[in-house]
Amino acid sequence: MATISLRNVEKRYDGVVALANCNLDIADREFIVLVGPSGSGKTTLLRIIAGLEHASAGDVYFGDVRVNDIDVGDRDIAMVFQNYGLYPHMSVYDNMAFGLRRRKMAAAEIDRQVRSTAKMLNIEALLSRRPRQLSGGQRQRVALGRAIVRNPAVFLLDEPLSNLDAHLRVQMRAEILKVHRAVAATAVYVTHDQVEALTMGDRIAVMNDGRIHQVGTPDELYDAPVDRFVASFIGTPAIGFVVCRVDRSVDAVELVADCAHVRLKGTQSRAAQKKAQDDRVVVGIRPERLVLMSELDARRSDVMLHGAVEALEMLGAEQLVHMAVSGGSFSARLARDRSVKIDEHLWFGAAARDVYLFDDNTGLALRA
Amino acid sequence: MNTTVVVSAGAPKMRTTPLARRFGSLVRAVAIIVALTWSLSPVYWMLATSFKTELEAAELRPTIWPHAPTLENYTALWNGSLPFVSFFLNSALTSIVTALFAVVIATPAAYALSRARFRLRRPIGYAILIVRMLPLIVLLAPLYLLLLHAQLLDTRAGLVVGFTTFGLPFAVWMMKSFIDAVPIEVEEAARIDGYPRWQILIKVVAPLILPGLVTTGAFVFMEAWNNLIYPLAFVTTLEKQTLPAALVLTFSGQFKTDWGGMMAAATVTTLPLMIAFFAVQRSMVRGLTSGAVAGA
Repeated sequence: MATISLRNVEKRYDGVVALANCNLDIADREFIVLVGPSGSGKTTLLRIIAGLEHASAGDVYFGDVRVNDIDVGDRDIAMVFQNYGLYPHMSVYDNMAFGLRRRKMAAAEIDRQVRSTAKMLNIEALLSRRPRQLSGGQRQRVALGRAIVRNPAVFLLDEPLSNLDAHLRVQMRAEILKVHRAVAATAVYVTHDQVEALTMGDRIAVMNDGRIHQVGTPDELYDAPVDRFVASFIGTPAIGFVVCRVDRSVDAVELVADCAHVRLKGTQSRAAQKKAQDDRVVVGIRPERLVLMSELDARRSDVMLHGAVEALEMLGAEQLVHMAVSGGSFSARLARDRSVKIDEHLWFGAAARDVYLFDDNTGLALRA
Repeated sequence: MNTTVVVSAGAPKMRTTPLARRFGSLVRAVAIIVALTWSLSPVYWMLATSFKTELEAAELRPTIWPHAPTLENYTALWNGSLPFVSFFLNSALTSIVTALFAVVIATPAAYALSRARFRLRRPIGYAILIVRMLPLIVLLAPLYLLLLHAQLLDTRAGLVVGFTTFGLPFAVWMMKSFIDAVPIEVEEAARIDGYPRWQILIKVVAPLILPGLVTTGAFVFMEAWNNLIYPLAFVTTLEKQTLPAALVLTFSGQFKTDWGGMMAAATVTTLPLMIAFFAVQRSMVRGLTSGAVAGA
């Protein structure tokens, strides 16, 4: 059983707080992704789990064993580094066998395990080569092989795909998931790429400024972000935000701005009712939810947004328009055949359930 | 047409004509020849004189090249009255042992300075270098007293101690620059694979810095080989003397100087240095400059 629990983990470097109050429970055999922008502390957290760094405060448990004082080599973990960290002076075979030899395993058994792992990763033909004779993708496979050949309980990956080209990256994602299923280890995967996080993680922990903002399944993060940061970090193209005023003069609560009008319903209406008249609320709306319509239709819709086109992006199958409005900005996806000009005024509508509401001061999601 | 536009656009830059270019390379060639002549002529003089007869070497109007080349100066080194072979072996032994000593001591020290995070890491690093800042002569008296009390005066072991004292600081810094260049992930991978620090140093780091070990060793070897003051001060028995000191002590007599023999001995003294230098000069430059340039 390799569950991992982080309890109030903190990390300070010379007074600078790199991690603050991190709590996380990772289930046995789960594939969890730590995602966040650079400097968010995700790699530091991974290195604390590995034992390469020590937490300044808090506890790390593997199962119910507190591992804070257990040395890296005794934690039964394996790690794949961003730049692979292969032993340059050893052949691929020796790179994979190095850890097994430390465990005083019989040579025949080492040979069997190295060869079966190499077979699984399709690197049998490379066993006698040195790392410098390999391509980036091959090195990545060897690094994976070296990690899993020891059959570790915990499998840590630190941005393993960031040095690969886009095509290879997509291919290796699938490969890593396949390997994870095969080895049945608990995996912690660090990336700054939210697409990678959404496609690979059973669950994702979104981090920023040394804090874990939210832990959840890809669906939970996308549908119910707990704050503005998570909402803006998850999803491409990025979500738009418009600051609105609360208007309670009507039956249902409404949110209004120069460029927007939102008639709230159900739970969202109840959430906004906690706000006073004229309080400011941030409305978030994802580009894929907005529908281009006539001014008349837009005004009849629950959610209405309008503004001038600031920039255009051609995405192949569709185009993305960036709208500049007072109190925020938002984007929308349009069909390729709709010709759009810069500064053209466009009207959009959406359903009330498609908007996210955040407190303007705290950035936290408004909940009923 | 395009070319004209480009040239006039870059107007502030002086245009170089083929003639000016040729003149430039001529100046460079002359400068190189002058520099080479300047630095190599003593070496040439040493070689030329070593092949001259005693009479020709002593001529008042020196000959540019040996008119009757002879090997007698060289054969005399081995067959003569002086224990020249002993001098050579003393130099070789003390220099090689010093090099090995320095590398064995410097590597773990450099590893700690490079990798361990502890207070005073920088001050300690610079403190090690201080010995290096002092002229050799300043350490002479303290070292003499230490060797005296350790009963190592007039021994080869005493010389090794002296040479190592002076060679070690630089060896530590040189090794540190090589260790700094080893990616930390490689070591972390070995830690995760379960290896303790000292085994990582031996099994992972040492093989990766092998060129650095050889270079540092060669550097310390050359310094020890060249050291003249310590053998003169610490060794009194002629048979235990090193080559450079023996050269000074034996070849310049009060009434007559054997120029040919001295130059032959000097040539033999220089040879191991040349070999050591050419063997490692590439990686030596890299070791001395690495870290100075990003990505080096």
